[in-house]
Amino acid sequence: MNSLWESIFRSKTEEETLSGFLAKIPVFSELGKRDLNYLENLVHVRNYKAQETVFEQGDPGSGLYIIRSGGVTIFTRDGHDHEEELTTLGPGDFFGETTLASPAPRTVSARTTESSELLGLFRSDLLATSDKHPEIANRILFGLTKMISERMQTATLQLRNMQQRLADRDAS
Amino acid sequence: MRHEQHLYPCGLRVMNLNKAHFLLFYLTMTAAIASGLAIFSSASTITVLFRSAAEGLFVPLLLSLIAAFLLDPLVNSLEKRHIPRTRAIFSVFFMISATMLLLGSWLVPYGQNMWGSLLSDFPRYTSQLINYLREAQVSWQSRFPVLAQYDLTNTVRTTAEQVLSFVLVQTPKSALKLGSLMILLPIFSFFFLRDGTTIMRGMISLAPNRYFEMAHDLSFLVSRQMAHFVRGRVIEAAIIGLVVALGLSLTDIRYAPLLGLFAGVTNLIPYIGPIVGMIPGILIAAVDLGLGGQFWWIVILYILIAQVILDNFILIPVLISRVANLHPVLVILAIVMGGKLYGVLGMIIGVPIASAFKIAFTEIRHYRRAFALPDTGNERHSSS
Repeated sequence: MNSLWESIFRSKTEEETLSGFLAKIPVFSELGKRDLNYLENLVHVRNYKAQETVFEQGDPGSGLYIIRSGGVTIFTRDGHDHEEELTTLGPGDFFGETTLASPAPRTVSARTTESSELLGLFRSDLLATSDKHPEIANRILFGLTKMISERMQTATLQLRNMQQRLADRDAS
Repeated sequence: MRHEQHLYPCGLRVMNLNKAHFLLFYLTMTAAIASGLAIFSSASTITVLFRSAAEGLFVPLLLSLIAAFLLDPLVNSLEKRHIPRTRAIFSVFFMISATMLLLGSWLVPYGQNMWGSLLSDFPRYTSQLINYLREAQVSWQSRFPVLAQYDLTNTVRTTAEQVLSFVLVQTPKSALKLGSLMILLPIFSFFFLRDGTTIMRGMISLAPNRYFEMAHDLSFLVSRQMAHFVRGRVIEAAIIGLVVALGLSLTDIRYAPLLGLFAGVTNLIPYIGPIVGMIPGILIAAVDLGLGGQFWWIVILYILIAQVILDNFILIPVLISRVANLHPVLVILAIVMGGKLYGVLGMIIGVPIASAFKIAFTEIRHYRRAFALPDTGNERHSSS
C-alpha cells in the first residue's frame, strides 16, 4: 500500500487528537476521558503565523494559552520600547494563566517565534462550565490552583533566598 | 522566400482557427454579455427577493431568541443533573406544551366568549367616550373660540371605527400568522437553545487573532447582560399583568383577564406603555361602573399599586439592571421607528432592541475603561 492510501485509512492515534494532547498537560491530569472530551470543545484552537503577537502588555487578559505546536517568546517592554525576553516556551507549555480567574491587564507580551497552533482557554467559558457542569469546572480549576500554588511556593522560596542573600551582603 | 513559406502555413492555421473558433468565440461573448446583463439587472431584484423571502422571519426569529433566553436557565438546571442537553430541551418543551394544552383547553372557550362580547361592547365604549369628548369640546369652544374649527369628536369617532374594522379584519389574518409562528417558534428556539453557544463560537472564531480574545470576552459579557435584561423584562411584564388582572377581578369590571394581559404587554414599553395600558381599563370602568368607589380603586390599582409600588419600588430595582435604562427621547424614537417598520408589534419590540444596542455599547465602554485600553500601539509605548 502506498502512502496515499495509508493516510486515508489510518485513524488518528491517541497522541494526535486534541483530547490526547490535553491529557498530557499536567494541569489537566485530574480529568477523566469524558472531561477531556468536554474540554476539547471548550478550548479555542487558533493558528498563528511566525512573529505574530498573541497579546501585548496592558491588553485586557481573560485566559491562558496552551502551545500545541510551534513556539512562543514571552517578553516585557520598558519605557524606551526596549524588549527584554523572559523566556521561550515550546509545545505543551502554557502562559497567561494568572488572568484566568480574575480579570487583569497582561503584565507581559507574547509573540510566536514560528507558525504555531495555540489553544485558548478563557474565563468566560470556564464560568459557563461552572454553571452547567460544576464537577468538570471543579477538576479543571483544581489542577490550575495546584499549579499556581506550586509556582507561588517556588517564587516565595526564591524571594526568601534573595532577601537572605541581600541581608548577608548588607551585614558583611 | 523562406520567410513566405514560413508565413503561409501559419496564416492558414489562423484561417482554420477562425473558422473553427469564431462561432464559439461569438457564442461565448454573447453568453457572457447576456449573463452580465442579467446579473446587473437582477442585482437589485436579488436584494428585493431576499428581503421579501426573509420578511416574515424577523418576528419568529426574535421571539424564539427571547424564548431561548427565557428557557436557558431551566435547561441548564436540568443539564446540571446530568441530563444531556438535547434531552433536557425536549423535556422542557414537553412540559411547556403539556401545560399549554391543559391551560388552553380550559381557557380557549372562556377567552373566545370574552373576545366576542368585547367586540360587541367596543362600539358602546367608544360612543361613551365620544359623548364625554363632545361635552368637553363644547366647554373648550366656549372658552377658546379659536378652536371652533377643530372637530375632535369626529376625529375620534372615525379613528375608533377604523380601529374596530382593523381588528375585525386583522384577527383571522393574525390567527393565520400565529399558526405559522406556532411551528417556527419551537423549531428555532430548540436550535438556539441547543446550538446557541456553538453558533456564537463560530462567529467569534472569525475574528483575527489579535482581537479574538477581546471579542470572545465581550460577547460573553454582552450576551449575559442581554439574557438578564430579557428575562427581567418578561418576568416584570408577567407579574404586572397578573397583579392588574387579580386586582381588577376584585371589582365588578368585566374583561379583567384581558385587561391584565393588555397591561402586561404594554408594560414592556417604558414610560408610554403603562399609560396606554391603563386607558382601556379606566375607560371601561368609567362606562360600566360609573365614577364611584370602584372606579377610583381601579385608578389607584393601575397607577399606585401596579406602577409606583410594584414596578418602580420592587420589580425594576430587583430585575432590571441600570445598564438598560434608556433616555425617554430614545424610547420615543424607538417606538416611532419600530411602529413605522413593523406596526404595533414593532412598537413593542422596538424599545427592547434599542436597549440591546445600549447594553452592547455600555458593556464595550465599560470594558475599555476597566482595562484603560489605549487606542493605538504608539500611545501604549509612550505611556508605558
